[in-house]
This record gives sequence, structure tokens and C-alpha cells, in this order.
Amino acid sequence: MRKRKKREAYAFVLPSLATLVAIVIFPTIFLWYVSLTNYDLSMGWEQKSFVGLRNYFFLFLEDKDFWYSLRITLFFAAVTVGLEFVLGLGVALLFHRHIWGKRVWMSCLILPMVITPTIISLIWKLMLNTEYGVLNFILSQFGLGKINWLGPKEAFWSLILVDVWEWTPFIALILYAGLQALPQEPYEAAVVDGANPRQIFFYLTLPLLKPMILIALLLRSIDALKMFDVVYGLTQGGPGNATELMSLHIYRLGFRHTNWIGRASANAVILLFLSTLLTTVLLRTLRRERLGGA
Amino acid sequence: MLMTSLKTRVQAINPAIWIFTPTLENYRSVFQKRDLLLYIKNSAIVVVTTTAISIFLGTLAAYGFARFHFSRKEDIAFWILSLRMLPPMAVVIPFFLLGRFLGLLDTHILLAIVYLSFNIPFTIWMMRGFIEEIPQEIEEAALIDGCSRLRVLTKIVFPLTLPGIAATAIFCVIQSWNEFALAFFLTSFNARTVPTTVTFFLSVMGIIWGEMAAVGVVASIPVLAFAFVVQKYLVRGLTFGAIKS
Repeated sequence: MRKRKKREAYAFVLPSLATLVAIVIFPTIFLWYVSLTNYDLSMGWEQKSFVGLRNYFFLFLEDKDFWYSLRITLFFAAVTVGLEFVLGLGVALLFHRHIWGKRVWMSCLILPMVITPTIISLIWKLMLNTEYGVLNFILSQFGLGKINWLGPKEAFWSLILVDVWEWTPFIALILYAGLQALPQEPYEAAVVDGANPRQIFFYLTLPLLKPMILIALLLRSIDALKMFDVVYGLTQGGPGNATELMSLHIYRLGFRHTNWIGRASANAVILLFLSTLLTTVLLRTLRRERLGGA
Repeated sequence: MLMTSLKTRVQAINPAIWIFTPTLENYRSVFQKRDLLLYIKNSAIVVVTTTAISIFLGTLAAYGFARFHFSRKEDIAFWILSLRMLPPMAVVIPFFLLGRFLGLLDTHILLAIVYLSFNIPFTIWMMRGFIEEIPQEIEEAALIDGCSRLRVLTKIVFPLTLPGIAATAIFCVIQSWNEFALAFFLTSFNARTVPTTVTFFLSVMGIIWGEMAAVGVVASIPVLAFAFVVQKYLVRGLTFGAIKS
């Protein structure tokens, strides 16, 4: 009976599993393989040759832009996730109280998250335009000078601004859901014991919320690492390579100027490694939560 | 954006104009000159195909994970979840090359299959949560009464999780509709989807702001409409069913 049940279970799970292995595992192995060759788009597939780890050496030793993209990708992730956390927590706490028009605010929060990301980059491109954009128009109404939002120095921070606008609601909604689900008893006990609101927040709310915070932050970090669409729409990695996050560096290596698929693949393997690292941490957290009965 | 889309060319570049006579000129232009309708059709074909396959395969697998015990079940389940996090730029190169070898570049089916890589994991995790919420006793009773597994699925599990299936499907639709990186590299004209039309507006900016905004409005309407339907399940969807609120 047990055996039969097991076989039945596989009948349900296997079709999905087989599909995923075919469309993810196989291509990933293929990617590793390509990353060890000097293949580029201008040559025939048969003309490529095996070059060992040379593509990786190229990235690590010769390609300054690779290091730059790695640095700004990590910096981008750290800054955006940090800002989104602080702002998101603020919004969540605000929502947790009974504020007027909560439902309407909620709906507004959802907008940036679900609108097509490339469309978001278009909207912001309009608003950030130096001559005709709304942002500089508002600044000029206050008698302030024009800012070249997408200039070499400013573009990276504009990107952060857009990302924070787009994803703060994500953190806010998750933490708000977390706050709503917190047990009441510890709070009653704390009040009886004479704890002040600050103490309650730092010693009760934050620790209780910790798993939710961790999950939200990890999800955002992974997304920041993957970031491609909005940057592409807004700056295409430019000006120069000022906003060339790792995904965009792969794009430039492999498709845009040089067609070095081999080198781009090596970079893709590195990106895959980074995201797998974060994903592993995330999954551990989720797993603990699931076993903990959350 | 909505405002810019209704302005004429001259008005569009002047942010000081807040009150004006709306024009539908930009909409006419994106549909007639820029084949927007074709891209919407492409998007729709890809989105519907990938969602339908994901829901079918994913729900079956979710049932397997929710109701059976087998060795290394959780390891497999979490490995599947990890696939949802793959960076598109890390996997697009092999998809591109394989698509080229197979002559599948710029086809709807390639994109629909590639999208399965994030839709199936998502469906499995969402549906697993929904199925685990129905009391197992109902199914057991039916099985004892001589119902086959298949009948249990179609007569009990499916109807009871219908709201969950609908919500999951809508999330798949939104994700697939919004996807850019993979669509950008794997399609060129025949299967080009709406988000990639952004590339029309990258260089020749100033003149066509109105059209740009019109595309934005058209592309956003369906996802916004869908998003409000699933608002209740939003947190759950955003965390792949990990957090149920």
C-alpha cells in the first residue's frame, strides 16, 4: 500500500519536475559549457574552441568594467534594500494604526509593483527629463536650478530613486501583513509591566517581526541583483557605463557591442553563483518558518 | 502618463500644461503605425499558453506535495522554489543559443516554454498552500467510499481550490505579461511582446512622448485590472505562498 502511494505521488510531481529539469538544468549546464569556450556570435558554432577558464581570467584580471559592475550592483542592492526597508517599515507601522482611507492608500501602493517595469522606466524617463520633465519643472517653481537627472554622476542615484519608488510598497505590504498577524498577549504583558512605546518597538515588535523582515529583505536583494528591465529602459547602463549593473554588463559583452558569448556566459555563471548564494539563505529562512508553523 | 498620452506633440513637452483638450491622436498612431495590436496579440498568446500549462502541471505537482510523503520531498520542493529566483540575464544566453539551433527564436512557443521556468515553481508553491488549507478528511472519506483519485481531484480538490487557482493564474499572467529581459532577447518581430516595445522609444525621445505614454497606458490597463482582483492574495503571491495573510 505504502509503495503504491509513493508511486502515485511521483505521478503527480514528475511531469512538472521533468519539465523544469529540461528547461532549467539542461540550459544551465549548457551555459557552463559555453562559458569555457571562445564562442562569439559572428562565428559558426563549429569554429569555437575550448579555452578552459580563460574567460574567467579575462573578467577577473583584465575587465575593469566587470569589477565596476560587480561593485555598483552590490552597492545598488545595499542602498535600495536599506532605504526600502526603513521607508517600508515606516509605512507599515503607519498602516497598522487606523488611518483614514486605508483601502485607497493600499490600492495606490500596489500600482508601482504591478505596472510593467519597462513602462515604469518610460514614465520616469519622462519625469526625469532635464528640459521638459515634471521634476525639474517643480524644482524651477521653487526657484531651484535644473538637475541633469540622467547625467553621468546622477543617473545611478536616479536609478535608486526609481527602485525605491517601485519596491518600497513591497516591503511595506509584507511587513504590514506581519504586523497584523502578531500575537496580542506579549503587548498586553509589556504594557502591564510598564514598557514605553520605544521599548515595545525595539524589544517586542522588531524581534517578533524578524522572520518577515528577513524574508522581505532577501527577496528584494535577489531582485536587485537580477535587475535588468528598468535600468535598460532608463539608461541602458549609461551614460558610459555609469549604471552598468551586472546584468547589463553581460548584455554588453554578449549582445550589444562585442558578441563575446563565451565571456558573457562566464559573467552569467558568476551572477548565477551570487544569486544562488542569496537564494540559499532565503530558502533556509523560509524553511525554518515553515517548520516553525508560520 | 495618462495626461501625456492625451496631449498633442507640442503640449506633451510642456509640463506646465495641466488643462487641455484631450486628443486620441497618440493612441491612433501607436495602433496604426507601430503595430501595437500585433504585440498585444503576441503577449496574449504567450501569456495564455504559459499560464495554462503552468496551472495544469503545477497544480498536479502541488497536490503531490501537499498530500503525499516521499523521500527528500522538502528538498525537492525548495529546489523548485529556488528556480523562481533565477536571474533572467543568467539564463538567457543558453535559451538564446538553443533557440537558435532549434530554429525557435522569435516564436511564441519558445517564450511560453521559457516562462514556464518561473511560472511552474510559482504555481506549485501557491497551490500547495491552497490545497493544504482544505481538510484532508473530505478526500479520505471520498476515497473510502470508492472514489478514484482522479474523481477526488476533479470533484473535490478542484472546485474547492478554484479561487486559489484563479488567483495563481492571475499572478502568472501578470508576471508573464511584464517580463522583459527574456522577451527582448528571444523575439524580434513575429513574437515580440508589449514590454519590449520600450525599445522604440529609447533614442528618438523628444518628438514622441505622447505615443510613448499611450503605449504605457495600454500596457498597464490589463495588469492593473488583474492586480485589483487578486489584491487579497497579494502578499501571499509576492512571497510565493510563504506568508499567508
